[in-house]
Amino acid sequence: MRFSETLLQLSSGVGYTALVTVTCCATALAVGLFTAAIRRVFPLPGIVRVIDLFTFVFRSVPVLVLLFLVYFGLPEAGIRISPLVAMMCSLGIIAGAYLCEVFRGALDAVDATEIMAAQAMGLSRRQVFVHIELPQMLRFSVPGMVNEFTNVLKYSPFAYTVGIPEITKQALALSAATLHGVEIYLATGILYFLVYRLLLVGVRQLEHRFQVPGIGAAHLQEQSI
Amino acid sequence: MALFEIRSLRKQFNDHQVLKGVDLDVMEGEVKVVMGPSGCGKSTLLRCLNRLVEPCAGSIRFRGEEVTGSGVNVRALRQQIGFLFQQFALYRHLTVLDNTTLALRKLKGMKKQDAAERALHELDRLDMAGHAHKHPAHLSGGQKQRVALARALAMDPAVILLDEPTSALDPVMAREVAQLIRKLHSERVTMLCVTHDVEFASAIAERVTFLNQGLVQAEERLCVLQNNHEHPAIREFFMTEKRTP
Ligand SMILES: Nc1ncnc2c1ncn2[C@@H]1O[C@H](COP(=O)(O)OP(=O)(O)O)[C@@H](O)[C@H]1O
Ligand SMILES: [Mg+2]
Repeated sequence: MRFSETLLQLSSGVGYTALVTVTCCATALAVGLFTAAIRRVFPLPGIVRVIDLFTFVFRSVPVLVLLFLVYFGLPEAGIRISPLVAMMCSLGIIAGAYLCEVFRGALDAVDATEIMAAQAMGLSRRQVFVHIELPQMLRFSVPGMVNEFTNVLKYSPFAYTVGIPEITKQALALSAATLHGVEIYLATGILYFLVYRLLLVGVRQLEHRFQVPGIGAAHLQEQSI
Repeated sequence: MALFEIRSLRKQFNDHQVLKGVDLDVMEGEVKVVMGPSGCGKSTLLRCLNRLVEPCAGSIRFRGEEVTGSGVNVRALRQQIGFLFQQFALYRHLTVLDNTTLALRKLKGMKKQDAAERALHELDRLDMAGHAHKHPAHLSGGQKQRVALARALAMDPAVILLDEPTSALDPVMAREVAQLIRKLHSERVTMLCVTHDVEFASAIAERVTFLNQGLVQAEERLCVLQNNHEHPAIREFFMTEKRTP
């Protein structure tokens, strides 16, 4: 079997890998944004403690353990979920807990005087968050988000354990059938690298679209000149 | 008529007493200047006026109405009070124009087009309309402070509070800001300005209120305060201020 054929066979899994990565990243974004926002806008001791406990617990659980707990455990409690939802509820939420921390750090980097100025204008707490803190936080978070999205991609092979035919699953099947292990896993690596590049191009384009002088990479470049 | 009547205003942080019974009036159309050494409570005083800081005791009347205590619509109060910060506090992710229109759109409910028109009018008044599409990172300090002033003026406030508006500026830019304040004064904009920049104070007002250790210690012509004043704290303040360039 030729290398190009191997690539072609494996690429039938690319769509699933992309699907798992994108849905888990979306889940992570939703969870991270929600928890970070609540923690910021309603900083009551009880709320802060619950959210901190959440991020602490979910950052320390191994993805595979949570995935099995969700996928095989929930049905015993009478809740059936699809493999993709199980991935979102494990990998997605764990990445969300990490993102929450990323966002929290980014929020701390927002200038306190700007927040005070917005309050002094008469904006409500919610308006200050939406119009001042959130847009800056997202820009400050880009490196941390890229990091986390990359992690999601790298953990996506766990999806095969619950029956999603993504790239790694294809590779396992193919290598069992042909015994061309090295070749196959080399092709697998290349495919993951391509998906990673695609993800990065997407993020860079978003970053460029929302880039503002004075925040982020452009800022550093200007200063170093 | 007094716009602000401040009586026996007290504020303490934990057990650190910062304001110990401040009395102060700000008349309509007036430029009132408050001076005092670092840490004497100037910023705290200004922030009590729009409730960025909660006063502990005393009374603040704004246009005759008490604004301390619960039951006051703080956000409505703040919309009538412009505030300028030493560090300009422009929103760095927004252009000059968006900085100026944000409150107009979100608080006054103006349409984007109308808000932009209004903002450009104010920016033009302060000679910044040509920079409307720049971000704060691309402005000089003096330009930033002018944008901050335009942003405040766009809301058509009853008074503007200025917290050391020149201390992050070089002397030339500080003079520019002083000139703007004189211009606004001639248009009957009421302002309460705290500063420890003597040159700036003398450029915008004749009389100065001296705040020290949480109390109003004197309210006199600047030249009287500067000239070997009987009060040691005042003497010391103006001596050190003269020495630093
Ligand atoms: N939020 C706060 N918490 C505790 N102490 C504060 C706070 N804000 C100001 N202070 C203290 O109050 C004093 C007066 O501060 P401030 O009003 O900023 O003085 P000024 O503006 O005249 O330099 C300082 O000693 C400062 O440390
Ligand atoms: Mg101060």
